[in-house]
Amino acid sequence: MTDQQLAVRGARRRHRGRTLGFVANSTIAWLFALVFSFPLIWTFFTALKPANEVFGARITFIGSEVLWSNFADAWVEVDFGRLLTNSLVVAAVSTLLTLIVATLTAFAFARLRFPGRSAVFVLFIITLTLPAEVAVVPLFLGFDQVRLADTWIALILPGLFGAFGAFLLRQFMLQIPAELEEAARLDGASTWRILTSVIVPLVRPAISVLAIFSFLGSWNSFLWPLIILNSSDKWTIPIGIAGFTTQTGTQWELLMAACVMTIAPVVVVVAVAQRQLVAAIGAGAFGGR
Amino acid sequence: MGWVFVLPGLIGLVVFIVVPQLASLILGFSDSTVLGGTEFTGWENYARLFRDSQFLNSVLVTAIFVLVYVPANIAISLAMAMWLQTRIAGRNWLRVIFLIPALSPMVANAAVFRLLFQQDGAVNQALAAVGLAPIPWLSDGNWALAVVIGVSLWQSFGYNMIVLGAGLDSISPDVIAASRIDGAGRFRRLFSITLPLVSPALFFTTVLTVIGAWSTFAQAYVITGGGPGNSTMTIMLYLYQTAFSNNQLGYASAIATVLFVIIAIFTMFQLWGQKKWVHYD
Repeated sequence: MTDQQLAVRGARRRHRGRTLGFVANSTIAWLFALVFSFPLIWTFFTALKPANEVFGARITFIGSEVLWSNFADAWVEVDFGRLLTNSLVVAAVSTLLTLIVATLTAFAFARLRFPGRSAVFVLFIITLTLPAEVAVVPLFLGFDQVRLADTWIALILPGLFGAFGAFLLRQFMLQIPAELEEAARLDGASTWRILTSVIVPLVRPAISVLAIFSFLGSWNSFLWPLIILNSSDKWTIPIGIAGFTTQTGTQWELLMAACVMTIAPVVVVVAVAQRQLVAAIGAGAFGGR
Repeated sequence: MGWVFVLPGLIGLVVFIVVPQLASLILGFSDSTVLGGTEFTGWENYARLFRDSQFLNSVLVTAIFVLVYVPANIAISLAMAMWLQTRIAGRNWLRVIFLIPALSPMVANAAVFRLLFQQDGAVNQALAAVGLAPIPWLSDGNWALAVVIGVSLWQSFGYNMIVLGAGLDSISPDVIAASRIDGAGRFRRLFSITLPLVSPALFFTTVLTVIGAWSTFAQAYVITGGGPGNSTMTIMLYLYQTAFSNNQLGYASAIATVLFVIIAIFTMFQLWGQKKWVHYD
């Protein structure tokens, strides 16, 4: 055998080894992902079972019949339609307002000079490390005092001003070359015009990501709605679900159907926006510096 | 001009974040209730806290939670992030799968785990299938705390995994290649190259994970309600019950202040410690 033949054979063996490693690595990773997803898979199958088959002597995914009607029953049982409407409205309004506030703040920090800017910036940075949970009692008392407890205003307002969004957008606005802004200014554009016609279109991807985060943040929010909302007709989905679980004699199949309907939109959003989300979580992590 | 743009955000930040934080400090010195007036009682709440065995227990429970959850979370996140750096079919989809619980409502996730860990739930059925005795997951205090820690890990490591993955992505392949040529083995490469280069991301995730861990609430509220006994009563859950079930807002604010101080000490300790192990280029 010539040296060349030997070299080819060696390369083939290495290649086969690498392919084998690739297949094994991928298989183990996907098996792990399957185990990891088991709770969610189990939720889905439980949601389709008859009530008396939720707990059985052994694990079965599919009961004696597949009851899609559980979803309809859960819908009625926890008034899911109202919870869903409330959650959607609250999340939509929260997201819109968060975007406006964060865009204005980020623009000021990234593109404008004004006296006291660095002091204000430091204040924003400090609040990033304050745990919001610690301030729920005075927030509640404050809203109670001005007779806004148990309203959506009180539910939505405190969540709009976190520094995270401003930092995320600022990071992207800093990357826009100054020439674009100068050109617009020479054409006689006002500062407001520069923001809306030059900056915002250029950072639209970052704004969409912030929109997703704000929406999910509101969708998932639990502690504050639990504290501030009293009347069940204003409840959002997490509060409705939690009320469901703490009752005695939980109807598990209905609860799981409600959980499926709660988690499904998140799965869709994450799957559709996966690239942007993954990139933004990475970038957002270092947005503060 | 800049002030006009920063003002809405600044006012909101002051009114809804800064002022409530400060107000919480002040309320901690009062006997405030929802309907009743507020009278200032000096250090009384704090003296009471140190005699309150339920409160001291909640600090202990949360401390155990933090000590187990934070290192486990960081270790799993880092291991998974590094694993997903290797060649794996569909690894972008794997990232999404691990991220989903991190972005879905904690309440729904917790309800699912409450079902799985019932006495005759799927986990005990699985144990029975391999011939093991059932475990009283939610009726034994130690197991219940383990379940709460477990669901928290399951729920949240995906997020840190992505952050650490971004840190790993930013390491230049040349550096790794160079170290390989210099004959550095796997472990040497991990400890001398990868970990130092990913340390800013590691620092960031650790600080935020510690803050989140000390304020744990929803998992315990939904899965165990703090029980059995007070075995899963976190500080935040005790604060919530004190304020909104027992209507002792002043006393709850004192708890909030202690929680704030604990978190501040941990954060400052980490800021101080970062000089020793975090490497910025």
